[in-house]
Amino acid sequence: MSDRLVQALRREFGETILATDDHCQDLHVRVAADRLPAVLGYLKTREDCTLLGDVIGIDYPERAQRFEVVYYLRSLSLPRQVWVQVGVAEGEAVPSATGLFRSADWHEREVYDLFGVPFANHPDLRRILCHHEFEGHALRKDYPIEQGQELGEPEKLYSDRDIARAAHRASLARNPAGAGDEIHATDLLTVNLGPSHPAMHGCLRAEVLLDGETIVDARAEIGYLHRCFEKEAEDHTWAQVMPYTDRLNYCSPLLNNVIYALAVEKLLEIEVPPRCKAIRVIVSELSRIIDHLVCVGTNLVDMGALTMYWYTFNVREAMYEIIEHLCGSRLTTNYARIGGLSHDLYPGFEAEVRAKLAMLDEAVTEVVKLAARNRIFLDRTLGIGAISRDDAVSHGFTGPCLRACGVAYDARKLHPHLDYQEYDFDVPTGEDGDTHSRIMVRFAEMIQSKRIIEQALRRLPAGPVNVDDPRVVLPPKEKVYGSIEGVMNQFKLIYEGIRVPAGTAYGFGEGGNGELGFYCVADGSGRPYRMKVRPPCFPVFGAYPRIIRGGMISDAIATLGSLNIIAGELDR
Amino acid sequence: MNIIQHVANLLIRSVFHADPASWPWTWLVQAVVIGIAAFLAFAFVAIFAGPVSWIERRIAGRIQSRIGPNRVGPQGVLQWLADGVKCWLKEDLVPAAADRPLFLAAPYLVFTGMFGAFVVLPFGAQVVAADLNVGILYLLAITSLVVVGLLMAGWGSNSKWALFGGVRSAAQLVSYEVPSAFSLLCVVLLAGTLSTQGIVAAQGGWPWDWFIFRNPFMFAAFFLYFTAAIAEGNRTPFDLPEAESEIVAGYNIEYSGMRFLFFLFAEWANIWIMAAISAFAFLGGWQIPGIAPEQIAATKGWEFVGWQALSWTIFLVKATFLVFVVIQIRWTLPRLRVDQLMITCWKYLVPLSMLMVLGVLVLLALVPEGGGADTILRGAMVGLGLAVVLVSALRVRRTFRVDREHYREMEGRDLWYPPYRLP
Amino acid sequence: MIPEPVRALLFYLCAGLALAGGCWVAFARNIVHSAFALLATFAGVAGLYAFLSADFLAVVQLMIYVGGVLVLILFALMLTSRIEEARVSNPTIGLVPGAVVLIAVSALLVYACVKEFGGTTDLPPGEPTTAGIGDALLSRYVLPFEVISVLLLAVLLGAVTIAGGRLRKPAPGGKPGKERP
Repeated sequence: MSDRLVQALRREFGETILATDDHCQDLHVRVAADRLPAVLGYLKTREDCTLLGDVIGIDYPERAQRFEVVYYLRSLSLPRQVWVQVGVAEGEAVPSATGLFRSADWHEREVYDLFGVPFANHPDLRRILCHHEFEGHALRKDYPIEQGQELGEPEKLYSDRDIARAAHRASLARNPAGAGDEIHATDLLTVNLGPSHPAMHGCLRAEVLLDGETIVDARAEIGYLHRCFEKEAEDHTWAQVMPYTDRLNYCSPLLNNVIYALAVEKLLEIEVPPRCKAIRVIVSELSRIIDHLVCVGTNLVDMGALTMYWYTFNVREAMYEIIEHLCGSRLTTNYARIGGLSHDLYPGFEAEVRAKLAMLDEAVTEVVKLAARNRIFLDRTLGIGAISRDDAVSHGFTGPCLRACGVAYDARKLHPHLDYQEYDFDVPTGEDGDTHSRIMVRFAEMIQSKRIIEQALRRLPAGPVNVDDPRVVLPPKEKVYGSIEGVMNQFKLIYEGIRVPAGTAYGFGEGGNGELGFYCVADGSGRPYRMKVRPPCFPVFGAYPRIIRGGMISDAIATLGSLNIIAGELDR
Repeated sequence: MNIIQHVANLLIRSVFHADPASWPWTWLVQAVVIGIAAFLAFAFVAIFAGPVSWIERRIAGRIQSRIGPNRVGPQGVLQWLADGVKCWLKEDLVPAAADRPLFLAAPYLVFTGMFGAFVVLPFGAQVVAADLNVGILYLLAITSLVVVGLLMAGWGSNSKWALFGGVRSAAQLVSYEVPSAFSLLCVVLLAGTLSTQGIVAAQGGWPWDWFIFRNPFMFAAFFLYFTAAIAEGNRTPFDLPEAESEIVAGYNIEYSGMRFLFFLFAEWANIWIMAAISAFAFLGGWQIPGIAPEQIAATKGWEFVGWQALSWTIFLVKATFLVFVVIQIRWTLPRLRVDQLMITCWKYLVPLSMLMVLGVLVLLALVPEGGGADTILRGAMVGLGLAVVLVSALRVRRTFRVDREHYREMEGRDLWYPPYRLP
Repeated sequence: MIPEPVRALLFYLCAGLALAGGCWVAFARNIVHSAFALLATFAGVAGLYAFLSADFLAVVQLMIYVGGVLVLILFALMLTSRIEEARVSNPTIGLVPGAVVLIAVSALLVYACVKEFGGTTDLPPGEPTTAGIGDALLSRYVLPFEVISVLLLAVLLGAVTIAGGRLRKPAPGGKPGKERP
């Protein structure tokens, strides 16, 4: 299939397509920088690659064209993914894709921030993850990893001129025929939502301009939890990165573990044993349930329904007991391993999971009963924080937030990893893309996850959980203590890390709140050359200011909860 | 003759062996007695608001399938004392940028407003601090102090969130005062007096003598008043002024220590006040079934005290029941948005309550009290009320049974309700 | 009913409260403080009404002035964006004309008081006034009463018209379901 795509591209663009590479079933297309928008536009309109998933920067200091910028496009109905690469030298600008994809805004800002690659015609090229006083570019290879920089004065997101402009725009929106001076800049109140606001889960910040309680304009700022996971990854062996993935989406760390392992295994071109796959499916779906429970519960408590919050969190707590028993810890699970798992399930796991799943049923029914026909709940969620299907796609939404708009894209169905094709489950979708749909989609997904877990428990095959490959998996302890080969094997794996052959691979799966992916570049050493996470909530939060504009503060809070922004993953 | 003078005269006669009418120090003794009575009323507020907070938290715990405070004292009954002591000992922070005098004064104003309402609440046949002949009006008026206090807190804190809370709360109180006043007007129309004791006296001990079952409009007026009162008390689903997830707890965000406690205190006292008003205005107050108020007033000595205690208990039971209802509602519903809150008030409650006033007036003119039509109407209303209570009781019972089964399955133990026996 | 010395004490308390509040309103530099000081004045005056056995008036004073007028004034102040610095928002201006007006008005008031009331009189014992006021309003003064209600209705309509000018319906083509009042 990718052959056809390559031929079509060559036919359309001829010499502009510099190279193609089909490594690990990921189609990489190298184009000249000036032709980038044309290629992206062609892929978007003609080849159904409607979603700009990510923009990735890579630094090769020894090359003439030092920076490589990779645009990750995907189709939402076909299993088609294309990476469009451009190379630029220091100071050279890449034409911005913001005209084609709204999600390009934040993604390009991130590349600009961390690599210093400028983007031509970008409307708002500012730093995003690092603060505005930061000097240098953190992900360049010559930036020392230990050099942190302190922030003196937080950034003001609105200047007086911005406020005046926002007031003018809001006046025109209210009365298109008027002169645009109905709302005066002095009428607007600037309020900081966050970074330490109780409803700003984690450390998110949005500055909003209020006319009464109506949000006239909003801007979001992120990065309060930025610790540059990607830079850390370059400084650690492939196996050592695993614990760091726990801290990405801290509501579903097991999912991060599993998907990271998938990415590296894709590079290594190994396949884990069936038992491992089944266990990974079970823990992934458990994590997804927990993630959704947290999201729905906190969303409801943001709307004042504290009781429903407890009902969801009680089940979550029960499920955390499983994870605690399985991994020895609740958040820092570190359970998956490249080529398998840290250890097998404990005895009695199945019975415990079944018991806890029964609790889930009860909680879901109870909360849905409390909420579904509650007039207050409906008034607070129906039509609130709505985003249209096209906007959602353009903003790069994935996961429940996208499915709530009616797009049935689920990585588990479209790109079955971990043998998801063998499980019988549905992809629930909503229609309106509003807070209500997002909550209800999550409820429905929990039930689907439960179905998957039950099937996985039924089929759970016997056998090893790790691949039988001494290059990847640590030898058993008796071998380490009993044989010189074992000692050597352990020593090499620990000190040098797993030798991952040079190449690029994008391993991804359906995370708690969307497509979670790890774009790994290996140079044949024991450490990643570049590791880029695609956090599903990054593009979602990028759309947040747009979604809440015109609503009220209470709506903004309810909407944020339903979008499920996890700061750990957003800021990395 | 009110109870304070009664006691003062008694004291003068027995302790000082003087005639109260001619003794020169009568005023002093009376003043002291008034002071003691005021202190007792104050203590009642304090002592009531405290346990209510504990009860609320235990019930909330039970509703939310958790435990709630159970460490201080048996089953945590002294938790409120511990909290109070903790708040006393905390530093009384005043933000540097706050408007200091306003910031410091606001909690007292809120508290005074709430506390002032206790003056006219008819606790028992003769147990009332002051039976003002404008009692109901006074109740409505004194709440305005709370409005000003909340605005003062919101402005004085010099924080945008606090200001939001203050303005929201004031707008809410002012708006919901309208339907609640109209609903109480229905009561006044029937009773023909503004005095709180007079309103109670106009009703009777038996349910069919209560104002709520007098006619359909009164029945509706009760629910209108109750809804509006919940809103005036800033309780969920109308707790927007202190919506911690939206405006970070609103007007009390900058407060700490005892000043903060004053706000909470006022809030809990307010649940009691609204429940008490509903109880005496609609549910017959302290009236003892089968005993006329005159008979009570005519008794002497211990018998008098006994009847007072009984009437006091009846009133307390009714009011406490309503407190429970408020707590249940609070832990069941999510919160409204601010525009929805105003729509609820001005588009639904206000016109409806006006309609109730009209209806009550029409029925007053058409159905003479004590006539056959009146009896039938009352009977029908009591039947309706009983049906409502019965249906909800059955539903609660069914849900409770299901819950108990689940609990037994999961924990192997039996479930108790009310929650004082939970682990 | 209340012993005489306590009564006197309470009277001076109320009168003092009203006066102190009035002074504070006049002299406060901060206009918000001035507004809040009105509370003391209103409360003091309500107390004085109570002393004049005008129980209904006292309570209504509290309800209308504290609960209505004062809150309205506070709202107006808090929602005014013109107040740049609250601390000096109520500056002292026109000292001389003010003094002249003050002296003239006080002279008039003192004169009126002395001439009309001249010394103290014992008040008749407090009687409930509510019923009397109600009767008077609906019999002897029914016409003015109704005229006032028509006036109030006109005021309400006017307010709605003025405020309604800003609350036009959203332009057609707006997103369905996102309409907000």
